[in-house]
Amino acid sequence: MIGTTLTKIKDVYRRFYYIFNLLIIIALMFVPQVFSKSKMTIICTMCGYFIIVGALNVINGYCGQMCFGIAGFYCVGAYVMAILMQTFHVSYWLALIPAGIVAALLGAVVALPALRMKGMFLAMITIGFSEVMRLLALNWTSVTGGAMGIKGIKSPTFFGIKMGGASKYYYIYIVIVLLFLFCTRRVMKSRVGRAWLSIREDEMAAKSLGVEIKKYKIYNFMYGAFWAGIAGALLAPYTRYIDSTYFTLEEGFNVLAMLVIGGQGTLAGPFVGVGVYQLIIETLRPIGVWRFVACALLIIVMMWLRPQGLVGASNSKLAGAGKKAGRKKAKKAESGEV
Amino acid sequence: MTSQYIINQLVNGLCQGFIYALVALGVAVIIGIVGFATFTQGEVVMIGAYTSFYVFTSAGNHLVLGLLASFATTWILGMLIYKVCYEHFLDAPEHISLLCTIGFSMLLKNLATIVFGVEKKPMLDIINNKIYHFGPIQVTKVQLVIMATVLIVCLILVLVFTKTNLGIRLKAVSQNREAAALVGINVKTTAMVGNCIGCAMAGIAGTLIGIYYQSAYATMGSTLSMKAFTSATLGGLTDVPLSALGGVLIGIMENLGIAFTSASYRDIFSFGFLIIMLLFKPNGFAKKRGGSRA
Amino acid sequence: MAEALLEAKGVSKIFGGLTAVDRVDMTINKGDIFGIIGPNGAGKTTFFNMCTGFYTISEGFIYLNGKNISNMPCDKIAHLGIARTFQNIKLFNYMSVLDNISIGSHINTKTNMFDAILHTPRYRKDEKYIREQGYEILEKVGLSQYADTMAGNLPYGVQRKVEIARALAVKPQIILLDEPAAGMNPKETDSLMEFIKMLNAEGYTIALIEHDMKFVMNSCNRILVLNFGQKICEGTPDEVKNDEKVKEAYFGKGIIAARGTKSC
Repeated sequence: MIGTTLTKIKDVYRRFYYIFNLLIIIALMFVPQVFSKSKMTIICTMCGYFIIVGALNVINGYCGQMCFGIAGFYCVGAYVMAILMQTFHVSYWLALIPAGIVAALLGAVVALPALRMKGMFLAMITIGFSEVMRLLALNWTSVTGGAMGIKGIKSPTFFGIKMGGASKYYYIYIVIVLLFLFCTRRVMKSRVGRAWLSIREDEMAAKSLGVEIKKYKIYNFMYGAFWAGIAGALLAPYTRYIDSTYFTLEEGFNVLAMLVIGGQGTLAGPFVGVGVYQLIIETLRPIGVWRFVACALLIIVMMWLRPQGLVGASNSKLAGAGKKAGRKKAKKAESGEV
Repeated sequence: MTSQYIINQLVNGLCQGFIYALVALGVAVIIGIVGFATFTQGEVVMIGAYTSFYVFTSAGNHLVLGLLASFATTWILGMLIYKVCYEHFLDAPEHISLLCTIGFSMLLKNLATIVFGVEKKPMLDIINNKIYHFGPIQVTKVQLVIMATVLIVCLILVLVFTKTNLGIRLKAVSQNREAAALVGINVKTTAMVGNCIGCAMAGIAGTLIGIYYQSAYATMGSTLSMKAFTSATLGGLTDVPLSALGGVLIGIMENLGIAFTSASYRDIFSFGFLIIMLLFKPNGFAKKRGGSRA
Repeated sequence: MAEALLEAKGVSKIFGGLTAVDRVDMTINKGDIFGIIGPNGAGKTTFFNMCTGFYTISEGFIYLNGKNISNMPCDKIAHLGIARTFQNIKLFNYMSVLDNISIGSHINTKTNMFDAILHTPRYRKDEKYIREQGYEILEKVGLSQYADTMAGNLPYGVQRKVEIARALAVKPQIILLDEPAAGMNPKETDSLMEFIKMLNAEGYTIALIEHDMKFVMNSCNRILVLNFGQKICEGTPDEVKNDEKVKEAYFGKGIIAARGTKSC
């Protein structure tokens, strides 16, 4: 039932693609006028999550690699940004890209040993990396401020307008979110994206066709790490203070939860995931910690009923078709004509 | 930095290591026999600790009672975990059950915060502590009791694995699930028992940790999962004795490490070890990988 | 004369105590349809896997066009011009047939991430090439009507052809087929045989492993026979049919001896 409704929505969207997109972008520009300041803070947080969950989706969803340590890249991006701005007095706009690049380079570093591993080993090494980043942030006091973190990070100015506060910073967030969407869509619709998909679906077959598995896995990690780093870099001047508690494994698992619930392997998945997650967190606030229980239950339910997530890629390994399902298909097909 | 201090740290490390070893071999049993990774081990430890806390507060400080209670509770928890996270996904891609265990661990952690509250529960003086001296070595009674318990449990486990029918079935399932099914072994039940054994190990370790650190709290399991996994990598995740050895090594390494640096660096040592192990010897030092899935 | 395309010289594969392939020599010439046959466990797939970079070679060398390709990783070997299919069809089941073939064209395109984001001329050229290649290959192999069908939904015989078509997109010098007729009924097998002969007529050199004797005898122009990892014969179908050692391998020494006593 979900499947057919989704296809119908997709069909309508495709037909009026350009108009829809233009209308959406225009509408997005008016969001701060419509919503109150407190709602805008939630929206800004969501935008930050859109980017980082999207980045994780590229690694886990599109390429099928099991990265559970996205918080590490998030951490690096945030700290590099904060350090560049506070210690080296680099302007916000100039510091943004380098923060992403440093995260991307670290993505390559993490990817290298990960090339030899799959599944739970890869998951563990990414978790290990994430924790090492957090512990470095916590203990390397001379550079990162240790447990005190980095405070007083200035808000950026855009042609004289100070972009502090959720209602103004929102514009920066939304532009980057749209940029992320734009880039990711284009990459996925190219040879690079198809290579990633082939690695996810059947690595041995991809290898036999000449897809350079190692290279593409590294690119994939670097791409995801870059955007996670950017998300971190955007966070620091927004909250104006960061410390290592923002980048715990728990945060990483929250991001993972949003991805898993919303959907892996599609562009819309991360957005739905962030939306649903924030919805649960905000509306169930009266029941306190139970809302996190609700989220945890949702993950389990999702794995049972729809492993690819609410709007995830149904036509993929992510949807849980294991060896048995493959055999069923072969049997079905055998009875057909040549 | 006196040599006395270093010897003390070594003893601390050994005791801590024994506890890690118990949790680690639980992980090795689960990954080896069920065939899936588990992110829930730390939370199971936590449940074990809380169980014994309630036993101690209601029935008095009887160590064996506490151990048995946590064993039983976590055994049942193991059955639940198996049903929810593993049984349904035996033929599915690995990542799905992995994500399920992550969800389950989040569930346990948050439920525990609600049911048990956020404060640490004190578990004081379960064992009347005394300090023994063996030459320059200083050991407390608590440490001796813990190490003895771990050794006894390990011994029982070895006996079960080598001398009982159940043990043979467990080994068969860990080596080749399909072949085991073909010779009439009920793979599902055996896998569940394997999972329960692993969880029960964690439960007992939970009681011991509660006694050693004199408290139980809802988030005590978080880093434990990772340390257990790290220890198990020494044995390629499936070799039980090597995983236990890994646990002891990690315990000693941590305590010596913080002796020379500072307490806040504790976790860096185990994570550093994890990364180095996975980088250079992802299959551990085990001669053959015990768990080869079809 | 015949030009050697893929050669193996003294190739062995040793797994611990087991010698799966024992000093096998082989020469595949350009334009051949080359068959590798032998009883089960003879080492055919192991040998194949060494030629395609899926297994490391314990001893010996493999040459492609005179170039030593021993122990190269399989994606590099694909770049050099060897494409293969698998015994249990490894299609990207959830992708359309056309998308499957697009992955095959990966080697022959150059677009990188920046090209993709900026839609550079290189990107546009590559996308056009991939689309055209895809349709062209489907046309050539007669599967155009399946272009947008999800690969996993196709009948088994068609799936096999799609897998071969995907290998063609690599533009290889030689295609290696691992038991292409496995699991097929006689009608599908005949269709496959015609398919392979048609490809060969187009100029593709093909090597295949097979159990189906009729298939091999009727489609291959040269055959290599393996038994217990050793080469026992290499030649034309007629030569192989009449070779004593081949008969021994398949029928056992007993029947050969019985023939000698003229009782049948």
